[in-house]
Amino acid sequence: MELTEAKKSGAVVLGVNGRVDATNAGVLEQRVLGLIDAGEKRLVIDCAELQYISSAGLRVLLVAAKRLSTGGQLALAALNHQIRDVFDIAGFSSIFQIYPTQADAVAALQ
Amino acid sequence: MTLRNDLSELERASTTLDDFGRRHAIPAAALFDVHLALDEIVTNIITYGYEDDAEHEIVVHLSVSPASAPRRVEVEVEDDGRPFNPLDAAPPDVEASVADRAVGGLGIYLVRRVMDDLEYRRQQGKNVLVMRKTLAG
Repeated sequence: MELTEAKKSGAVVLGVNGRVDATNAGVLEQRVLGLIDAGEKRLVIDCAELQYISSAGLRVLLVAAKRLSTGGQLALAALNHQIRDVFDIAGFSSIFQIYPTQADAVAALQ
Repeated sequence: MTLRNDLSELERASTTLDDFGRRHAIPAAALFDVHLALDEIVTNIITYGYEDDAEHEIVVHLSVSPASAPRRVEVEVEDDGRPFNPLDAAPPDVEASVADRAVGGLGIYLVRRVMDDLEYRRQQGKNVLVMRKTLAG
């Protein structure tokens, strides 16, 4: 897993690249919660280069969503087809804002 | 393959499964699901399966049913951890709102959904789980 970070139109865009599983979900959690603790209110998780995510990674997204549900916003962008399937099965597609591209997600959080 | 009860072994399991998938020309979508199932089950065993801190072996057998169509991938996972039947695990409420959604409990549910068939037995002090996925076409 590799993480990239950028700020676009006031939102933090966190690119999550590669594979997220139980070995590295803790690193993702630290990074995401660190951003929220630092006061970031608008967070975009860009999944364009995300190839795989297990329940360990889904758990981190849910924790972030819970943290941002009061006074913040979280959007996901560019999920590939297989990851979208996992989201559908997990019931995550209905509780997350998911956009086709990073630009769409950033625009939606304005 | 034989894995130790250490999460760092997930990478080796994944690489081995990739090689297996390539050798047997398993379609990418099906292989993704098998990756997810194996990952979730092995993670679960390593994280929750043992009552001691000793080293344990998790034995994984990968096979594809013979040439007869439709082909079927079979993954057998054997561990000597505490008895755990994934088929008895309570499913999470996947329709709950963000606030009400429980953190955790998703892994086994994903396994049950992405694989076509699960069989569990407790045999000579070991958990034996057989997971099957039928390959389309």
